[in-house]
Amino acid sequence: MKLVVKNLKKNFEKKEVLKDINFEFQKGKIYGLLGRNGAGKTTFFNCLNEDIEVDAGQFYIEDNNSKRKMEAEDVGYVLSTPNVPEFLTAREFLKFFIDINQKRIKNKKTIDEYFDFMKIEQEDRDKLLKDYSHGMKNKMQMLVNIIASPNVLLLDEPLTSFDVVVAEEMKQMLKEIKKDHIIIFSTHIMELALDLCDEIVILNKGILEEIDKNDIDNKNLKNKIIEALKGE
Amino acid sequence: MIKTFITSFKLKNTYRTNSIIYSIKQLPIIRKILPNSLYKNRGIKILATIISILYEIISIFIGKIIYMAAMILGVLSWYNMKQADVFIHIFTFLTLCGGILNTYMLNPTKDKYYAIILMNINAREYGLSNYYCQLLKVIIGFLPFTILFGMMVGIPLWIQIALPFFIVAIKLIVMNYSIYNFRKNNKVANENLPTKLVWGFVGICLLMAYGLPAINVTITQIIFLFVFTFSIILGVYSLVRIHNFNDYRKMYRQILTEPNIYRQEKKTEAEVIKNATLKQIELDRSYTSNKSDFAYFHDLFVKRHRKILTQAVKKQAVAILIVFIAIIIGIEVNTEFKNKINELLMISLPYFVFIMYCLNRSSSVTQAMFMNCDHSMLTYRIYRTPKVILGMFKERLKTLIVINLLPSTIIGVGFAILLYLTGGTDNQLNYVVLIVSIITMSIFFSVHYLVMYYLLQPYNVNTEMKSSTYKVVQGITYFVCWYMIQIQLPTLSFGIATIIFCVVYSLISLFIAYKYAPKTFKLRL
Repeated sequence: MKLVVKNLKKNFEKKEVLKDINFEFQKGKIYGLLGRNGAGKTTFFNCLNEDIEVDAGQFYIEDNNSKRKMEAEDVGYVLSTPNVPEFLTAREFLKFFIDINQKRIKNKKTIDEYFDFMKIEQEDRDKLLKDYSHGMKNKMQMLVNIIASPNVLLLDEPLTSFDVVVAEEMKQMLKEIKKDHIIIFSTHIMELALDLCDEIVILNKGILEEIDKNDIDNKNLKNKIIEALKGE
Repeated sequence: MIKTFITSFKLKNTYRTNSIIYSIKQLPIIRKILPNSLYKNRGIKILATIISILYEIISIFIGKIIYMAAMILGVLSWYNMKQADVFIHIFTFLTLCGGILNTYMLNPTKDKYYAIILMNINAREYGLSNYYCQLLKVIIGFLPFTILFGMMVGIPLWIQIALPFFIVAIKLIVMNYSIYNFRKNNKVANENLPTKLVWGFVGICLLMAYGLPAINVTITQIIFLFVFTFSIILGVYSLVRIHNFNDYRKMYRQILTEPNIYRQEKKTEAEVIKNATLKQIELDRSYTSNKSDFAYFHDLFVKRHRKILTQAVKKQAVAILIVFIAIIIGIEVNTEFKNKINELLMISLPYFVFIMYCLNRSSSVTQAMFMNCDHSMLTYRIYRTPKVILGMFKERLKTLIVINLLPSTIIGVGFAILLYLTGGTDNQLNYVVLIVSIITMSIFFSVHYLVMYYLLQPYNVNTEMKSSTYKVVQGITYFVCWYMIQIQLPTLSFGIATIIFCVVYSLISLFIAYKYAPKTFKLRL
């Protein structure tokens, strides 16, 4: 399975944020999406999540040589600022989320098993989400997206609010689940991208390009990425 | 200090002109034509600056004339005393209220926040220069009207001229007291959050202002002279103290905090969250829901927001019952009143369109729905699938209708009872029409607000209201309801027409919502 993006364009008034995006994202890989501030990473995600309409181009899922539209069920989007319904407890939120995703959840577990999986402590499970810290909310947002097991996971700088221990756990977890998903991971931290991601993709001047990692050592790779980011 | 004042004025003017351009850019259709570069367009900037300066000048006078006309001049006819005395009396006590409720200096506004906290402008110079400017505006703004209205009611010239200076003196005294308090306790109060003590003082002043003349008591001109002279002496002393005070930066740091600045915009959110927390403990012990899916989700939303949902309408219901009981007692003891009520019930149904509009909670409930629920949930694609959107819509519609039904049923039935008690009607159908039309009005407003919310979803990610179309629809709704106040029509025909309109409108708008909501109900980015 792959996510194919073809000739995707998005302008804001006269500014061409996404000029002509052409890319194929393969299942089983984590893609590190790098780009400078304002390069359009979030816009790209918003397009894929259909939060905003694209001006031109298309994207679709290609599975066993058949194309189909990328449906709501195919996408999970973890935003850099976590969004959770604050009037619910973590347990209630999970219950609701499992309820509405009933049909597509494979190997359904109990709510507590999910909490265990995400290492959310017993005492936090029945707290209102409004009392959760930024990082904890982020964990919840990540968890519900993982439970729903969408084919495509869009992660917008998801690890920045985690402490080092949790960030490490999350990295491990992403590596574990990647075989069933297409994961696109946007970040500003190059080391993280190099450490976690299978492919490095650069969004620069509205174009998406892959950095060839083969036969190159880490230091040269970093230089290559910086040059690509600068547009040289 | 003058330099600081000019800088601060420029700053205020810049973001005021930007806000004007921004508002223009929010208008439907026009926004598509106008580019972002508008903000640097010189012509537009000048135009917006002119509008801004005009606004500044008009605002000096407009508020004052409305205040004096509505709060003082408009009520003079209530009393059987010499108008000049009542005028001075009410003015004096209202000035005391105003002095304590509005100091200008301690009002945490955005322009102060930007200038002092974000841009590090000298707090003392900024605070004082703007404060003096405000006080000057008080004198310039009030003087023409104290003279004009004063002449109309026959007040001596010296009092006409003294009144604006009296306001300024009271404001200075209150401000000096705040500074004194700050020096002593290191605490300064946000004037937008008055304490119970302040409210108590304001309550007493209002009672004195409007209550005393009712029992033929007012302060005499001699007493006013004393109060005025005393205030002026204290005011001048306060002015010196205020001018010599140095620690404005520290004081402003206490008031100009983000929660204070953004309180007004996020008030509902803050309240709702606060209430939700309060309810939580009790709910978690006692509440179990056997529902699932959206019904479960929505059920919890309702339970966690009881204060703004069920409890608010219960309070309304109690208040309405009290009014009805008072009217029933009135009609039992006074035949003239009884006949008047009977007559009103037969022709004043249009008036109740406005009352039902005011009572309906749907507008604030949809706001809470967004702030505490949809704002976060709409970022999940699954929540935006037609099945979930329409499922939630159905649950919410049920709740809104049921909640608003409680007060409206009481009003409807109450009207029928009043009609019966005041001598009845020739046509029995009137009873049915009264009850049914009030109830359909209530349902209409519930449907109207929810459908508008789903079709126009006016908020953006930062929980700011961004849709000008939504505002226009809200404005039209208000205007139409308000216009109804002035109409008198036979209850029977107006009631039947209302019922038909509400039913047809509700059906059509529900149909449209079902068709389009899955497309329109999304976050504005």
